[in-house]
Amino acid sequence: MSDKQAHIIYDKDGKSSKDKPWIFRTYAGHTNVRKSNELYRSNLGKGQTGLSIAFDLATQCGYSSNEDIAKPEIGKVGVPINTLDDFAILFDQIAIDDVNTSMTINGTSMWLLSLYVALAEERGIDLAKLQGTTQNDLIKEFLARGTYVFPPDQSIKLIVDMYEYCLRKIPKWNPSNVCSYHLQEAGATPVQELAYSLVTAITVLDAIRERNCFNADEFEQCVGRVSFFVNAGMRFIEEMCKMRAFTELWDEICQQRYGVKNPKYRLFRYGVQVNSLGLTEEQPENNAWRILIEALGVTLSRDARCRALQLPAWNEALSLPRPWDQQWSLRLQQILAYETDLLEYPDLFAGSPVVQSKVEELKAQARDEIQKILDAGGGIEAIKTGYMKSQLVISQAERMAKINTGEQVVVGKNRWADGIASPLVGGNDGGVFKVDPESAAETLHALEDTIAKRDANKVKACLEKLKEDAKAGRNLMEASIACAHARVSTGEWAGTLREVYGEYRPPTGVEGQSLALENAKLQQVRAKVQTFMDQFGHRPRIVVGKPGLDGHSNGAEMISVAARHAGFDVIYFGIRLSAVDIVQSAIEENVDVIGISLLSGSHNEIIAQLMNELEQEGARDAIPVVLGGIIPQGDIPALMAQGIKAVFTPKDYDLMDIMNKVMDIVLEHKAKRG
Amino acid sequence: MSRHPSSPTIAALKNQPLAPDLLQQLQQAAAFKKWPLAKLISLFENRNSDAAQTRHDIARHIQQHPQDFPRDARVIGFTGTPGAGKSSLIAELCRALLQMDANIAIAVLAVDPSSQISGGSILGDRTRMHYGKKEERLFFRSQASNLELGGVSEATFQATRLLRHLFDLIIIETVGIGQSEIDIQFLTDHTFLVMQPLAGDQIQFMKSGIMEVPDSFIVNKCDEEKLARTSYHMLRSSLKQARLVELGALDDYRNAAREQIFLTSALKHLGIDTLAQAVLNIPRRKTAEQCETCYLKKGVQRRYGEFGLRILKNEPDVLTGATTFEEKEFAAQAAIQRHIR
Repeated sequence: MSDKQAHIIYDKDGKSSKDKPWIFRTYAGHTNVRKSNELYRSNLGKGQTGLSIAFDLATQCGYSSNEDIAKPEIGKVGVPINTLDDFAILFDQIAIDDVNTSMTINGTSMWLLSLYVALAEERGIDLAKLQGTTQNDLIKEFLARGTYVFPPDQSIKLIVDMYEYCLRKIPKWNPSNVCSYHLQEAGATPVQELAYSLVTAITVLDAIRERNCFNADEFEQCVGRVSFFVNAGMRFIEEMCKMRAFTELWDEICQQRYGVKNPKYRLFRYGVQVNSLGLTEEQPENNAWRILIEALGVTLSRDARCRALQLPAWNEALSLPRPWDQQWSLRLQQILAYETDLLEYPDLFAGSPVVQSKVEELKAQARDEIQKILDAGGGIEAIKTGYMKSQLVISQAERMAKINTGEQVVVGKNRWADGIASPLVGGNDGGVFKVDPESAAETLHALEDTIAKRDANKVKACLEKLKEDAKAGRNLMEASIACAHARVSTGEWAGTLREVYGEYRPPTGVEGQSLALENAKLQQVRAKVQTFMDQFGHRPRIVVGKPGLDGHSNGAEMISVAARHAGFDVIYFGIRLSAVDIVQSAIEENVDVIGISLLSGSHNEIIAQLMNELEQEGARDAIPVVLGGIIPQGDIPALMAQGIKAVFTPKDYDLMDIMNKVMDIVLEHKAKRG
Repeated sequence: MSRHPSSPTIAALKNQPLAPDLLQQLQQAAAFKKWPLAKLISLFENRNSDAAQTRHDIARHIQQHPQDFPRDARVIGFTGTPGAGKSSLIAELCRALLQMDANIAIAVLAVDPSSQISGGSILGDRTRMHYGKKEERLFFRSQASNLELGGVSEATFQATRLLRHLFDLIIIETVGIGQSEIDIQFLTDHTFLVMQPLAGDQIQFMKSGIMEVPDSFIVNKCDEEKLARTSYHMLRSSLKQARLVELGALDDYRNAAREQIFLTSALKHLGIDTLAQAVLNIPRRKTAEQCETCYLKKGVQRRYGEFGLRILKNEPDVLTGATTFEEKEFAAQAAIQRHIR
């Protein structure tokens, strides 16, 4: 042990060594299984070492492609999966006993895992060789992402079922991945990210312990299977400290709450997708630098380095990325890992008093917040009461307010906003990916084919068994795998469980929220509201609607809070609404304007549905409609031609500018029609 | 003259036939066409002084054509703290009522508080009223408590003036346990207080004196039988302290409904049918006339205080011959003005 040097990593034989790079992933999937399979094989060929599968919203929410609510969404934000036949094509020529597969799937994770297991069984692969992760964090779905299907208690039950099954049959599978990623996207501060995701992990582990299905050793192993999916934003030093705080707090929880003795099972294992929230539509080329800096936050410190990394593409604030955009992000990882000396050193920050002090502060604040939630009944209770959700909405509103006032600088957005036009968005495609609307037909035909060929009686029997097991509270993995083999569809599996469990509508994030904003623009819009009231004898009324399956409700909720602050009466009733729901509410509530929020890329189809529904009610020209969300500039003229009065994109970040414009539209419309 | 809506001077009313476009709207509303109905409700909520003439025209038309408006709604209030699950419960109750009675038509008025800072509001009660498809016999309307515009009960009262002629049942949902909720009872034939099990609500209600307002109690979220049983006994002992019931050794939670205690779970569909049956059997207790008198007095008190109320009491004849609420308001104002001059 003589002359070891502090800047060198030594392996267990005492030889100097270098770390292996983290797993490189690209979140990918689109159009249909055939196209996605081509993309995966090409990505693996480029040196990507793991798969990260994006599913379309219908698959995530438990609908088959042939259902009405699913049709506008087929292949939009990911690949549509209906039956095992789809999975066979998706993984065609991909060795699933070799590749590490991460699936971003939650409400229907049990189903997608069952399909994966059934595929392995059909290929004769030993299940113990399967490696990967089903995201399966329902708490953050209720809080931020919105693709839940069942109520909280039943959602947790399904997660526990999967832990029980996986530990015995697929020991290298991570049945769930506790996500702080989406919390940050929803506005969480570092402390909230730490606290809420650790509460989530505690909620899952407490539920597993309560089922009492493992002996002490197995339970330790099970704790060891809990992995995390974390975000990293622009404040990269704080983010690095947050990762160290995570590691230390998790070790503390594993020891103190669960008595885990083996240090291996107390490791904080995490993957990262860096922040998309801070990416701008303005001067989108700047996002390339942002992504690089965010990647540093989770790779610089060896003690808190991620196990797997996926990076967004520079143009995510515009629309869906193209394969080239994703390749560019992958190259960043490869340059960082292979061209630099990053992987040659032990932890660079060990012993730094600055880092240590920051970490301690984060830990102390996170501990307080965790205790507060546990004292109030735990994670599930904090979902039902809406506590965590409301805290996130407050943080997001504060963040927006800071950007509005310029207190938080965003280059190219609220500072140095003038610049030379980006040549990157100059191409024929406008620099974004477009799903070919015709390609959905292939998915629908494949589903028809499978339904025609499968044994209908077997399907019926398998679904009966699933229902029976669900009612009896049994573990549903085996019944689900049997369904997968029988070519049951995604919608049939989820629909059967919906019948037993019901469907959940959580509290929206708007309760008790307020906006602490006082400026000239607010006074301007309130004056317009007063003009309206004097003239028409009531407050302006707006329906804020989120149609379709896209569950990112925070934008809609922020607009609702802002509209109330401006003086509107706002009708807001949550996510996953049909065009019929929204038009009916607009009519019953006799509103002055309809505001629609859409981020899933299905705006063209959904707006057509909505306009058609308004037409049928004879209200198409009577109620103005405005639209906000991730809408590519190229789509705007066609939307305006359909009758949309204004389109707001991430460029329009000043809430009161938006409200002023909406109020102008309302007043102008009233003046015209009386 | 300020146009502040809470103190408009009431202009003299003309007796004139209902304008053809309004007549058409009213006929369509009576056939449950939702948009015309929604527009008429806006008219009844409208605080501008010129809307009063139109309301007067509509009210007179209805009075003069009773055969066209055979429905005569009973009005039921649901109040209680946020978190008691009122919206989900009302959604389930409506579903049950529509199934039990193939002819019943229901209007729901859901009142949420307005912001004290901006005056705006977020009305979120539709979140639970999610039927997924159009239901003709159910109409749902959100209202803001709109404090500066005369209080929740004013807008709600105005809406019920119209709705009572078009529906069989009006359900009014209010949040909280404040003055608004106490006011709501002046409108309703029956008031339910919705509580959570074991949440200590009862104590709060007793302190605030609201225990004496409701005609019935609902303990919602009784998802398990044990919870229902415990809640029943806890509530009864609270009621005993308030001297509203006698406790007996043989009290059985399964007979709770007999003493106007309902144990429900909107989530698990428990106790909903019992509640729906009770709602269908609720007798009428107030006439439209009585509601109008009550809200007339409230309006007079708001504008002229005790002085105005005293004049109204000493000179009851001033209202004789007034047919609509608007005429009564005008007559009362004229009488009071005579004393001011």
